[in-house]
Amino acid sequence: MATSTYLSSPVVTVNAVDLSDQCTGATVNINYDQLEATAFGDSSRKYVSGLGSHSVTLDFYASFAATETWATLKSLVGTSTNVIVKPTTGADSATNPGLTFTGTFLAALPVVTSLGALGTISVTFNGGVYTSDES
Amino acid sequence: MRFFIASERLGKIGDLYTPKDGINIDALLAGGFIVQAEVSTTEEEKSAKPKYKKAPKE
Repeated sequence: MATSTYLSSPVVTVNAVDLSDQCTGATVNINYDQLEATAFGDSSRKYVSGLGSHSVTLDFYASFAATETWATLKSLVGTSTNVIVKPTTGADSATNPGLTFTGTFLAALPVVTSLGALGTISVTFNGGVYTSDES
Repeated sequence: MRFFIASERLGKIGDLYTPKDGINIDALLAGGFIVQAEVSTTEEEKSAKPKYKKAPKE
């Protein structure tokens, strides 16, 4: 059984800025609209791929220091940018693909703080063109 | 227009930064990750340099 264990070395870049050391989680959803293509004569339903509808959710610590999380994200809300998530720091390859979302949109920038705990920012980028960089 | 890297999160500080398609340059500038190169080649600035007269020969 093949498995992937993500311990400490994934790479996350937002707008080309490496935020891996502030990131604690990444959820990548690669989705395509499912369009019905069934016609008379078919005995089962058939589907074809429609528009891509991808999203990436990233969980960060809320660091307000210079060139950290807040500085990276504050000017991106309401705009489109590029996001890359990669399993390890190694070069792009078939076993270490750079999941790249080009022109993905950031609609909201929620900052969560509570007494006695590190602040967090969980952001979701929607849309954009998905490619898997493997070389 | 040229940009230089100002944060290690983007690359080696001082290196020329060439943005790929889709990168939000304004956000990088606002966050202090890059700086815009200041290139002045106008004639006005050139003429603003102080001029020195040669000392008269005796």
